[in-house]
Amino acid sequence: MADVTLRAITKSFGDVRIIKGIDLEIADGEFCVFVGPSGCGKSTLLRMIAGLEDITSGSLSIGGREMADVEPAGRGVAMVFQSYALYPHMTVRDNISFGLRMTGHKPADIEARLRRAADMLQLTHLLDRKPSQLSGGQRQRVAIGRAIVREPQVFLFDEPLSNLDAALRVQMRTEIGKLHADLRATMIYVTHDQVEAMTMAGKIVVLNAGAVEQAGSPLELYHRPRNLFVAGFIGSPRMNFVAGTAAPAAHGRIEVVLGDGARVLLDGRGATVTAAQPVTLGIRPEHLTAGGGGLRATVRLAEYLGSETMFYAQLADGSGIAVKADGLAKAAAGSTLDIGINPAACHLFDKDGVAVIHGDLTR
Amino acid sequence: MFPRPIQKSPPWLQLSYKALLPVALVIWLLPLIGIAVTSVRPSSDLAAGNYFGWPSRFAGVENYASVFQNSNIGWYILNSFKVTIPTVIGAVGLSCLTGFALAVYKFRLNLAVFFMFVAGNFVPFQILAIPVRELTLRLGLYDTITGLVLFHAAFQTGFCTLFMRNFIKALPFALIESARVEGVSEWKIFRHIVLPLMRPAIAALSVLIFTFVWNDYFWATIMAQSADVRPVTAGMNELKGQWKVAWELITAASIVAALPPVAMFFLMQKHFIAGLTLGATKG
Repeated sequence: MADVTLRAITKSFGDVRIIKGIDLEIADGEFCVFVGPSGCGKSTLLRMIAGLEDITSGSLSIGGREMADVEPAGRGVAMVFQSYALYPHMTVRDNISFGLRMTGHKPADIEARLRRAADMLQLTHLLDRKPSQLSGGQRQRVAIGRAIVREPQVFLFDEPLSNLDAALRVQMRTEIGKLHADLRATMIYVTHDQVEAMTMAGKIVVLNAGAVEQAGSPLELYHRPRNLFVAGFIGSPRMNFVAGTAAPAAHGRIEVVLGDGARVLLDGRGATVTAAQPVTLGIRPEHLTAGGGGLRATVRLAEYLGSETMFYAQLADGSGIAVKADGLAKAAAGSTLDIGINPAACHLFDKDGVAVIHGDLTR
Repeated sequence: MFPRPIQKSPPWLQLSYKALLPVALVIWLLPLIGIAVTSVRPSSDLAAGNYFGWPSRFAGVENYASVFQNSNIGWYILNSFKVTIPTVIGAVGLSCLTGFALAVYKFRLNLAVFFMFVAGNFVPFQILAIPVRELTLRLGLYDTITGLVLFHAAFQTGFCTLFMRNFIKALPFALIESARVEGVSEWKIFRHIVLPLMRPAIAALSVLIFTFVWNDYFWATIMAQSADVRPVTAGMNELKGQWKVAWELITAASIVAALPPVAMFFLMQKHFIAGLTLGATKG
């Protein structure tokens, strides 16, 4: 069992608190992705799990063992670095087997593990090359191979694909996914790319400013974001936010009056507002339609992507709104666009940015 | 492209470039040429005042032979090797360790220690002459090869540490962290990862320190008295002659004495490999 448990983990550099008390449970065999903007502390948190950064306070356990004071080597983790960190003067073979050779494994054992990893990653024909003779994707595979041969309980990936080009990134994404299915090890993966997070993760942990905003499955985060930050971070193109005022309406419904005077009637779903209050209405571009009643906006920019058309428009009160329309939709810049709005897909956030109503279409 | 290739400039510029370059080169090399020519001049030329003209005849063979016959230059060269080689090994070896420690480990006085190494380089060594002589006398190291080696190594390690620390600092730190996560001990990280990558720095520093210590005259005259200890720079004094300075012999000896550093450079040359860390990180 290699579940990873974090309890009230904090990290400070001098007076600056980088990680502000994180509680997290990652189950054995789970693929967990830490995602967040630059500087949110996701890499630091990963390095704390690896043992490369001290834990200021709190407890970290891997497989039920307390690890806060254990050396990196004793934690049963292997890490793949963003920069690959291959030893440039060694061949691929030596790179992969270096850690094992230095820690007293038997040559036959090393050879067997090397073969297995090389087969798995299709590196067998590259074993005698130096890192400088490899392409970016091959280097990345060597770095992963170096982690595999250690047969760790937990794999840690620190933005491993961010140096690759787009096509290779998609390919490596599926390879890492396959690897996870084959090895059934716990994997913790750090990225700033929410597409990577959505496609690979069993569980996504959204971090912001050193704290967890929300943790859950990708679709849970997409459909039921807990607050404005998660709603804006998960999903591409990002969710539209329009300021308005919410007031109670008949039959447990809530009426939202937007800045430009448009009215949207939402099903309260148990949530209530007692009096008129300022709110933010959130709606994803893919849940809006070009044409149909609801909102009226002026088109500023149209992007024709073939499969779909993106309209970036402006409401009467000046707030921007993006609409993902059918690929055949057309509207010139400056023209008026009627936007259809599906009330069931609308999220409502109170003045503190906390979700009051989830526009969860799966229910 | 910058700088613009000379082939692309106007003809007059190309022509004057090609004419001036050899002139500049000769002016640059004039002292060396002077010494080389003097070393093959017969002594009669110098007596007759022919210092800079064409030698009246080629006397190279007898001059160089006489250097080896009339002085202990062979012995002095051996002494120079005995002083220089242990110094290079000591200073470069020590500075690999100090450089690693200062570049890799975070400890409270890291920067203070580093600045002390750097600051030591700014002390003019002339002001150290008397204390160092007293110190070596009391330690019983005066006029010994060991004394010279210890002193040179101590003095050179400061600069070497500065050089090595900055070199290691420029290596990708993820290499060290990666090995740490793999459970490799710190000593093995140094031995198997950092040291091989330092090869260009070690080669460059070895040549530099070798040349510097080999060419040292100041300490050679202060700390060495007997012929058993005297390095070649100080030993050449012997050729000065009792009544007149035998320039043709001194220059010949200088050329002989200058050969080992040159040889050292060519020996180490293949290790100055640019881009040894290529492929370590993203590309």
